[in-house]
Amino acid sequence: MLTDPQQRGSSTVEAVFSIIFLVLLVLGAIEVSLALYARNVVMTSAHEGARAAVELGTDPASAAAIARSTIMRAAGGLVTDLEVTVLTERSDGFRRVRVAVVGRIPPFGPVPVPIPLSATATAAQAVPVR
Amino acid sequence: MKRHEGGQALMETILLSLILLIPLIWTLGVLADIHRVALAAAAAARDAGTEAVAAGTAPSARRAVARAIESAFESHRLDPDLALVDIRSDGNLGRGTSLSVNIRVPVTILQAPLLGRVAGPAIWVEARHVARVPLFGSRS
Repeated sequence: MLTDPQQRGSSTVEAVFSIIFLVLLVLGAIEVSLALYARNVVMTSAHEGARAAVELGTDPASAAAIARSTIMRAAGGLVTDLEVTVLTERSDGFRRVRVAVVGRIPPFGPVPVPIPLSATATAAQAVPVR
Repeated sequence: MKRHEGGQALMETILLSLILLIPLIWTLGVLADIHRVALAAAAAARDAGTEAVAAGTAPSARRAVARAIESAFESHRLDPDLALVDIRSDGNLGRGTSLSVNIRVPVTILQAPLLGRVAGPAIWVEARHVARVPLFGSRS
């Protein structure tokens, strides 16, 4: 119980500051988790897109379309401003698809800035000898 | 509450939170690494199996598996040399036989923020893919 009139309400103020600090801490931890999760999803979606393009794409245009749709389905809801660049080449008996993905995690939690993400992936498939 | 204890609860909360925050962030990093390795291992096993059954011969299958694992791991910013690969086929890659690719990757628990992996215990992440050599498919 408070005995000093000058300290009346100080515990309430400290509790409010502590709660604000803990809420910021929890939101920060959630933001870090979300950023790490999104980074993993973007990396694996880039690989899946490159793989799908090299397996299913019959020409560079269809390979690029397949890679884009695969990546949008995998990571489109998690990351905003998603940009996908697809490069297809054929050399040394292999067909190669190189995919670059750039996006942002929308602001959330105590850091009010979007977090940029990027990933690149390459998939190759041997071209059957006819 | 005594006069000299004013503000002590706030300081205790901040100190305790920092003590909790460091292991929390470190645990999040390790869990994210396990997730990344699991995704890479699953993709590598699937790609390796798919490529191996289309290869035709055992040496070309081994090369295709190595290529697929390297590609999947580099896409996930991992070192392909970390993977322990076990390939088993019940019929020397003959048509209609099955082939299994097993990939095991260690995730080091003790990781420094800038140095990366340091020596210590590891959690092994494993992925396995079984593929069947097509009966009538063409081979590269």
